[in-house]
Amino acid sequence: MKMEDVSLSSMDNSKMEGFAQEILSDLVEDACLGLCFEVHRAVKQGYFFLDDTDQESMKDFEIVDQPGVDIFGQVYNQWKNKECVCPNCSRSIAASRFAPHLEKCLGMGRNSSRIANRRIASGNNTNKSESDQEDNDDVNDNDWSYGAEKKAKKRKSDKNPNSPRRSKSMKHKNGRLNRRDEPEKISTSKKAESQNTPLITTGQW
Amino acid sequence: MSKESQMRAAINQKLIEMGERERLKELLRAKLIECGWRDQLKALCKEVIKEKGIENVTVEDLVAGVTPKGRALVPDSVKKELLQRIRAFLAQHST
Repeated sequence: MKMEDVSLSSMDNSKMEGFAQEILSDLVEDACLGLCFEVHRAVKQGYFFLDDTDQESMKDFEIVDQPGVDIFGQVYNQWKNKECVCPNCSRSIAASRFAPHLEKCLGMGRNSSRIANRRIASGNNTNKSESDQEDNDDVNDNDWSYGAEKKAKKRKSDKNPNSPRRSKSMKHKNGRLNRRDEPEKISTSKKAESQNTPLITTGQW
Repeated sequence: MSKESQMRAAINQKLIEMGERERLKELLRAKLIECGWRDQLKALCKEVIKEKGIENVTVEDLVAGVTPKGRALVPDSVKKELLQRIRAFLAQHST
């Protein structure tokens, strides 16, 4: 009788089931052992009991669920109405407006330099010494000369921002858009000439 | 019976070689953590440790104290799922 080709399918189902149970049992035991090793190491290394605290201290840190108060028990809008004294101008400012006020008051931050430049460009006198510094910074950043900046600002404000031609001009200029601010006059194209006049005539396009 | 045990040995070997045993182990581990079995057993371990004292507790103490309960505490759903996978593997690779 040839018995070499006994396959598992010839084993009856109960034996198969028993085998499967055995495998499962081995796996569970592996899991248990793994846990025991982990715990044992934690105990011997001293970190097993680290997160244990007594009940009383636990109560101190429970989550708070009251209205008007955050989960730590702190009132979270008590600073809304407080007022702070500005160290620069010694004014009393509301807390939520304090940061923007400081920006303008100290002359730091993005907006304050823009505002200062605008004021200078339109010829106002400002008392703040910081604005001069801001101006120079601005000049250095953009590699302009001071005069060109004035010209550029003037040209920009002369163009009507609402006219549809604005998008057209971008199309035709392509790369020239960046060079609009240069003081040199390029007479090779009509477009450059037209830019020097305050009004752009419709006939150009 | 030796043919049967040969068969079992062959299948066990296949289980390991194909990486299926590792996958089953990982699956079991994940399921046991999910269902809170691991935390239950950790609490049991704490009791054993408190009994024996931190300095003197050995791995054998833990294993002996915890494993029998550990086997019993495995939820039936987890057992079922694992058995399903094992049976599928056996059916696939039984020749």
